[in-house]
Amino acid sequence: MLYLQVLLNGIVLGCIYACVATGFSLVWGVLNVINLMHGTFIVLGSYLAWWAYSALNIAPWTALLIAAPVYFCLGYAVQRGILNRVIASPVLVTLTLTFGLDLMLNNAMLYFFKADYRRLVLEPAMGSLSVGPLVVPVDRLVAMAFALLLTLILYLILRRSRVGRAIVAVRMDRDAALLMGVNVKSIYAIAFGLGASMAGCAGVLLAMIYPISPVASGGYLGKAFVVCVLGGLGSVPGAIIGGLFLGLVESFGSVAFGPEHSVTLSFGLLILFLIFRPQGILGKRGFE
Amino acid sequence: MPSFASYFPRISMPVLVCALITSFAATAAVAQDTIRFGAPLPQTGPLAPEALKQQQGYDLWAEQVNKRGGIKVGDKKMKVEIVYTDYQSNTPRAVQAAEQLITQQKVNFLFSPFGSGAAKAASTVSEKYAVPTIASTASSSQVFDQGYKYLFGTFTPNDTLTTPLVKIVREKASGVKRVAILARNDLFPLAIAQDMEKAAKANGLEVVFFEKYAINTMDHSTSLSQMKAQSPHWIFATGYINDLVLIKKQMSDQKMEAPVVTMIAGPAYKEFIAATGKSSENISSAAWWHPAATYKGVDIFGTPGNYSKLFQEKYKSEPDYAQASASVSGVLFQMAIEKAGSLDRTKVRDELARMNVMTFWGPVKFGPTGQIDSLEPPVLQIQNGKTLVVSPAAIKQADFKLSVK
Repeated sequence: MLYLQVLLNGIVLGCIYACVATGFSLVWGVLNVINLMHGTFIVLGSYLAWWAYSALNIAPWTALLIAAPVYFCLGYAVQRGILNRVIASPVLVTLTLTFGLDLMLNNAMLYFFKADYRRLVLEPAMGSLSVGPLVVPVDRLVAMAFALLLTLILYLILRRSRVGRAIVAVRMDRDAALLMGVNVKSIYAIAFGLGASMAGCAGVLLAMIYPISPVASGGYLGKAFVVCVLGGLGSVPGAIIGGLFLGLVESFGSVAFGPEHSVTLSFGLLILFLIFRPQGILGKRGFE
Repeated sequence: MPSFASYFPRISMPVLVCALITSFAATAAVAQDTIRFGAPLPQTGPLAPEALKQQQGYDLWAEQVNKRGGIKVGDKKMKVEIVYTDYQSNTPRAVQAAEQLITQQKVNFLFSPFGSGAAKAASTVSEKYAVPTIASTASSSQVFDQGYKYLFGTFTPNDTLTTPLVKIVREKASGVKRVAILARNDLFPLAIAQDMEKAAKANGLEVVFFEKYAINTMDHSTSLSQMKAQSPHWIFATGYINDLVLIKKQMSDQKMEAPVVTMIAGPAYKEFIAATGKSSENISSAAWWHPAATYKGVDIFGTPGNYSKLFQEKYKSEPDYAQASASVSGVLFQMAIEKAGSLDRTKVRDELARMNVMTFWGPVKFGPTGQIDSLEPPVLQIQNGKTLVVSPAAIKQADFKLSVK
């Protein structure tokens, strides 16, 4: 029965990891930009959820409706105003630029929100669902459901809408897309905006689960990195598969080797995948 | 067009001379009127919340001393100045910061950087320059067993926190037999968990679960499922406030209940209660000091009650042991300097070593290693959303209660 509970814990944790990683994967896959601000966008999303709940009594799932457009605009502006200027440069340049922007954003958060830990305590608490001896917390289930829904929406946007097809086209062949009349700079900004929007929404959902602090951003970024490499870069289903895989490995790894090794285990996997299967589990490059 | 640099040689000499004269005058003034205390703190980075608490404690003491005209050195009074440097939560930089404070900022005395690890690292520097140093946040005895003469600490060793906890649980809950321990794999949280394991075994309790979790762990559900399968009577978790908030949240998620749940070091802070809400009820903890204690000190603060009052006037919040320890470190320097009647570092060090006084922090006497050995830390419990003292009997506010949900 313990193993069934561990399996359940792993699946729920995996969906949360997938939710953390989708936006990061999109930006990395389409723009070839490793966005080191991703963790900070997530934390900003959590602060928005916390503020909306404590000041305006808006529940986190309703706050998603605010977070999605707000962070889309933020991402769009960052890409249009700053990143597009260096987008054609080698990946190290954009990496360094997002690193610098992240330092600024992070210190601004420390200044404005202070380094204190805050937590969004829902009243009444959502409690847990029990099936026999198995327990699963409702807030994690809600977060998981919304994470899957958001990922599905992103998937549909990319598959079905004109903008989505343009994003995929740019990912596959930038020059050909340009020749076909696609406004590449605008598509880059939209893709980055979507990535930031996913990060902000993930932050809103995670606010129900984790304490909120500016210093949490590094942890989220690390997980997003591992999930993307495991699942396959730039692929929405890949982020879900990678997230679930990581969640399960950490949960069962924690039983087998002890919880102190679960972080080591995930980064060990990252190294193994980079050496032996750099394209990730799904094994495809780019979106379809 | 001439460049900016070409103007430099022409303007630099007069500016330099003026600057030198001004700084010499300033140094001379400093040397006459003020006593400078160096405080390397992690003002940015993950430990920033702790630095804020330290700074509040030092500033409150300095403000109170200066209000009274300063510290009496021989027959004159000298004002106090605290010189802060930020070491960005990075221990090697803490050592550099301490050295820079001594050699360049010319501080008279030093407060240690935050925590046992950084305090131990920086103590080598203060010992080298023979600068009396008080560590206000170091409890591990490994910090003090280096044979250093200039290092003093206001926290008793970790086992003085765990032993009274085991004692009170044995007295009040004889049915508690099975203990589960979950510890953050970090110097202080792990050391205290190991002391707890020793104390539990020594008192005939069975340790049915002992696991460490990595720093930055984002999920404890599997460890908690394993722990739950062992049906412990006493759950003992260590870590910092963010870890413990997450652990308590996930315990509630898994509907884990136990007669006794102890967490160190979060619940002594009011932020823990704010973040965990009603689920924090009856969680016990231990800390080196609490505002409800009833010591009658001979220092400028006098009693814990008066200290709390002054603190609340300045910061609009209640102090905890971290801020009080920072303030008492200042108080102890003040008493030692006044007794020595001079700023001579060796004389002040000797006065600290032979000190035996009552303060708002409790009775202060340093053992042969420099670590305080006169204090009996209180056991605390959260009841009705407030942290109350449940032991020792002399300062007790409430009875120890069982059952944490």
